[in-house]
Amino acid sequence: MSKLDKTNEHEEHTPSSSFSREIEKEPGGADIQHCIQCGMCTASCMVASVTEKYRPRKLIQKILLGMREEVLTSELPWLCMTCRQCEERCQEDVSLAEIFHAVRNIAAREGYIPVGVQKVVDTVMEDGWMLKDGYSDFIEDDRDDLGLHTDLGWNNEFVKKIKKRFIDGGNKK
Amino acid sequence: MTTEREPKSKASRDGTGIKSKEALVIGGGVAGMTAALDIANQGFKVTLVEKAPSIGGVMAAIDKTFPTLDCSACILTPKLSEVAHHPNIDLLTYSEIKSITGETGDFRVKVHKKARYIDEDNCNGCNDCVPVCPVELPNEFDENLGFRKAIYAPFPQATPHIMTVEKKGEPACRATCPAEVNAQGFITMMRHGKYDEGLEIFRRSNPFAGVLGRVCVSFCEGECERGMLDESLSIRNLHRFLADYERMNEVAPVVAKIDKKDRVAVIGAGPGGISCAYQLAHLGYPVTIFEEREEPGGMLRYAIPEYRLPREVLDEEIQRVLDMGVKLVTKTKITSIKSLQEKGFKAVFVATGTWQSNKLGLKGEDSEGVIHAIDFLESTCRGKEITIGKRVAVIGGGDAAIDSARVAIRLGAKDVTMIYRRSHVEIPAIPSEVQDAMKEGVKLMLLTSPMELIVNKGKLSGVRCIKMRLGEPDTSGRRRPVPITNSEFTMAVDNLIIAVGQSADQKGVQTDVECSKWGNAVADPITLATKTPGVFAGGDIVLGPNTVVKAVGHGNQAAISIDRFLRGVDMMEGRAKHRHRVQSYEVDKEGVPLDARAAMPKQGVDSRVRDFDEVELGFNEAMAEEEAERCLGCAVCCECERCVTACQRDAIDHNMKDEVIDLHVGALVLATGYKLFDISEYTQFGYGKIPNVISAMEFERLINAAGPTQGHLLRLSDGRKPKSIGFINCVGARDVQKGVPYCSRVCCMFSIKNSVMCKQHDADIDVTVYYADIRAFGKGFEEFYENAHTRFGVNFVRGRVGGVSQVKDNGTLRIQVENTETVKLMEIEHDLIVINPGIIPPDGLDDLAVELSMDLSEEGYVDVRDTILTPVDTPIDGVFVCGCADGPKDIPDSVSAGSAAAMRATIVLSKGDE
Ligand SMILES: Cc1cc2nc3c(=O)[nH]c(=O)nc-3n(C[C@H](O)[C@H](O)[C@H](O)COP(=O)(O)OP(=O)(O)OC[C@H]3O[C@@H](n4cnc5c(N)ncnc54)[C@H](O)[C@@H]3O)c2cc1C
Ligand code: SF4
Ligand code: SF4
Ligand code: SF4
Ligand code: SF4
Ligand code: SF4
Repeated sequence: MSKLDKTNEHEEHTPSSSFSREIEKEPGGADIQHCIQCGMCTASCMVASVTEKYRPRKLIQKILLGMREEVLTSELPWLCMTCRQCEERCQEDVSLAEIFHAVRNIAAREGYIPVGVQKVVDTVMEDGWMLKDGYSDFIEDDRDDLGLHTDLGWNNEFVKKIKKRFIDGGNKK
Repeated sequence: MTTEREPKSKASRDGTGIKSKEALVIGGGVAGMTAALDIANQGFKVTLVEKAPSIGGVMAAIDKTFPTLDCSACILTPKLSEVAHHPNIDLLTYSEIKSITGETGDFRVKVHKKARYIDEDNCNGCNDCVPVCPVELPNEFDENLGFRKAIYAPFPQATPHIMTVEKKGEPACRATCPAEVNAQGFITMMRHGKYDEGLEIFRRSNPFAGVLGRVCVSFCEGECERGMLDESLSIRNLHRFLADYERMNEVAPVVAKIDKKDRVAVIGAGPGGISCAYQLAHLGYPVTIFEEREEPGGMLRYAIPEYRLPREVLDEEIQRVLDMGVKLVTKTKITSIKSLQEKGFKAVFVATGTWQSNKLGLKGEDSEGVIHAIDFLESTCRGKEITIGKRVAVIGGGDAAIDSARVAIRLGAKDVTMIYRRSHVEIPAIPSEVQDAMKEGVKLMLLTSPMELIVNKGKLSGVRCIKMRLGEPDTSGRRRPVPITNSEFTMAVDNLIIAVGQSADQKGVQTDVECSKWGNAVADPITLATKTPGVFAGGDIVLGPNTVVKAVGHGNQAAISIDRFLRGVDMMEGRAKHRHRVQSYEVDKEGVPLDARAAMPKQGVDSRVRDFDEVELGFNEAMAEEEAERCLGCAVCCECERCVTACQRDAIDHNMKDEVIDLHVGALVLATGYKLFDISEYTQFGYGKIPNVISAMEFERLINAAGPTQGHLLRLSDGRKPKSIGFINCVGARDVQKGVPYCSRVCCMFSIKNSVMCKQHDADIDVTVYYADIRAFGKGFEEFYENAHTRFGVNFVRGRVGGVSQVKDNGTLRIQVENTETVKLMEIEHDLIVINPGIIPPDGLDDLAVELSMDLSEEGYVDVRDTILTPVDTPIDGVFVCGCADGPKDIPDSVSAGSAAAMRATIVLSKGDE
């Protein structure tokens, strides 16, 4: 093998937007510059197979091209299920699920959280779980049969503790 | 590397140290051939070493070459023949490098030339031997799609144009049979229903297919490789079938051809003596067997009961030996070997066996009711009236004990107990015999030993025994039985049969030669020669009581020695066993379905205990065929020697041995090529699981006129013509995760070529190539790509395929791909998917590198000293590289590199002294 063939200095040959450099610095984002836009990820993605709007390759492309605003405000990065099938197959070893995770973190920091997602978070913060209204008599009976506590009131206490420790800044060193 | 390395030696600079002006090229693909030819054409001698049976490499298997679509074989063939006939090229195929030492100008190389069992000078590649060979296996050259024989030339233009026999050595069955019966050979014949030929193969080693088929202890079955998978083959019963089949059908004629003068005497007409006579008669010697008893057969006739060995079978097999011209003199006890020699016998084989029953050494052993096994069995065999009581005890655990117990049952004893000192595992008798005895009502009293015979008025009335336990192993490796104190008990019996082994007659004729203190003749373990010249001994008289098959083996070995002795040739030479025994790991058992061995049909217990009719009834044809089918053919070639008969040029030599050839060369060229990535690692494509997913190399063979389908583009799964074909690129290439980050450089082009070939076969086939990007960088490549699209109508989809699945029973496949130009995620159906695998370094290159103390690149290729300025120089002075050995290349680039390496090598050579 010649040196030229196996060079790792992909940076010279790939678009290097400041946004992609920003992602590169996030945990798991290191290999984003290696993407060659082959489409293997989209072809392997089960979210992509059910919704036309979600194309992981396209999303990576937008990051590489520096379309920061468009990516951060979009709901698409939030659609990744983290099944990692794309990562398993990507021949350039790009960690797509990690990258989308990083994108979501940045988006959240900057206040771009899709309404649906925000609602879910709020509900959990409030109730400690997502489907409080779904707690029916039937489930209560089931829990009883299984010997589990049927009164879920302790949940509120628990949520309060969590909020205090991790969100309201309690317990900070 | 882009910087010049410190050369390892300075010799090539000024010519000092150039001690050989010959070159060595390793690898006979198109690059190595080019290098060899270019060196040779400059007037230097060159040796070309190739590990396959033929040179030509992968190019020989490729259908057409890109971008010109020339026939690959047509371009290559003239080159193949030029290499074969060049006076300066010495071609060593089927050979590998064993070691390399020295430095530029002065390399010492050892080449391991594997035996191909073909005389390269005599064989003219006429193919006469191929159709007769019964062993068929997948043809590697056709990517295992077609079949070849054990004797083969991989492809029609194979160079050198000679055959190769693939033979791994000696299979376990043959290696462990004391009589060296070629079990794989006769079983292979049985698989083809050729029972007469199977029997002929058996009879090469001894005349007792039917006898040994009934009484052999079957050492072979203990080691048969099939046993590693499920159960060993029923080898013994298979050769019994051959003998039975002949008896029921046409009997092969016996050829008598006694044409030698020197007379040989055999003392003792047991299996050992008869086998020796048989082999000597084959060689043309006049042999006379002297036998003390009325009839021949030894223990076979006078000890082994008829229900195990019907006497007609024995008689017929012995008669065949006599028909060969062997003389038999019965009722004649020989008392002096010398007297035989004085009568003009030039050699004597003593095979008198061991006929004295060992005694227990207890008081009362001569009282009425106590019988010794050999006397008991001999009397029964002779048909004498014997009265036996109701309760019988048999002491011992060998064949004689089991036989005595079963005979006692047949003579009407109601309660028969075998008393044996050790446990079940140590019983020396044949296990199936033990089981049969138990079914017939024989009781086993294990770990028990007799202490005292209770005699009342001169007549036995009981036996006092003691219980034993197993202690430390003794010299025989078996655990020694130790008595348990206070465990004595008494058993009332009417008869006691003592079967605790036999010994040689201390006054027997064998005492004319040197004997052990037990009276056994002392003979060389290999030649069986005694200390007395011209006298040989074998079988039980040497070994002590043993087995029929070992006696037969001794007879065979003695015959070889006697022939050599009479011809005045060294008896020992080449006799020590050195043949490679095929090892378990060498036998491919993958995918062989498990299957139990055939069970032997037997006479019902109720009827069999009443008479001496044969218990084991033998396989029928269907069972035999099915059982033979289980053989794994461990050594590949089964040494049936049909090819030897078919070859009219005397070119096949099954005794050929591997050779080591020493070379002294001044320069080396590495041209070891590549291998393809194992695409089954990409589980999402289903290669190896989904039948209609094939590799590009398989596709090349599929469309080749000389390939398995004669060039018809068909799906091998169902023979249907595919209407739509998809090619998937970059599999096992440009994949960081799979350790192959580099581009393979040829797959884009061969996928375009193959897609065009599809269209040329049938313009209506819908053909799509799925790619990441097309690398068409060579001369005319881009135009070819363009033409594929515009002129031939091949579809190109930019997008790597996610996965392949089979969607319909008819084998239709579906792939997922994102067309990255349209951002459409598509599911597309094809009838056939061809995967284009990437190129990786070949097997064995790492070993060569170690020999040369040369570092390989990270990917495992040869690292060149400077990619730009010295692209064919390795870091080792005097060692050059070409073709794919230093990275993927197409044919034109490989050829250019071959020429370049040749030039670099001859620059070194030309600096040597004139
Ligand atoms: C009951 C029993 C069952 C057995 N079962 C099996 C079995 O199932 N499988 C197996 O592999 N092995 C078995 N064996 C052992 C096997 O029979 C012997 O290992 C084998 O027969 C040895 O062959 P041989 O030629 O050395 O001797 P023998 O078979 O003993 O033949 C020697 C011959 O020489 C003759 N002879 C002796 N002295 C002279 C002389 N001075 N002049 C002329 N002739 C002479 C004898 O009469 C005899 O015919 C069994 C043995 C016994 C006793
Ligand atoms: S599979 Fe990898 S290289 Fe290909 S487009 Fe997706 S992220 Fe890029
Ligand atoms: S000996 Fe028999 S099996 Fe072996 S190559 Fe010759 S024909 Fe084939
Ligand atoms: S499988 Fe066949 S060739 Fe192999 S050891 Fe058994 S009988 Fe012999
Ligand atoms: S003679 Fe015995 S050891 Fe030899 S092949 Fe037959 S059964 Fe096996
Ligand atoms: S030549 Fe084409 S198919 Fe092969 S590895 Fe390179 S880009 Fe992929």
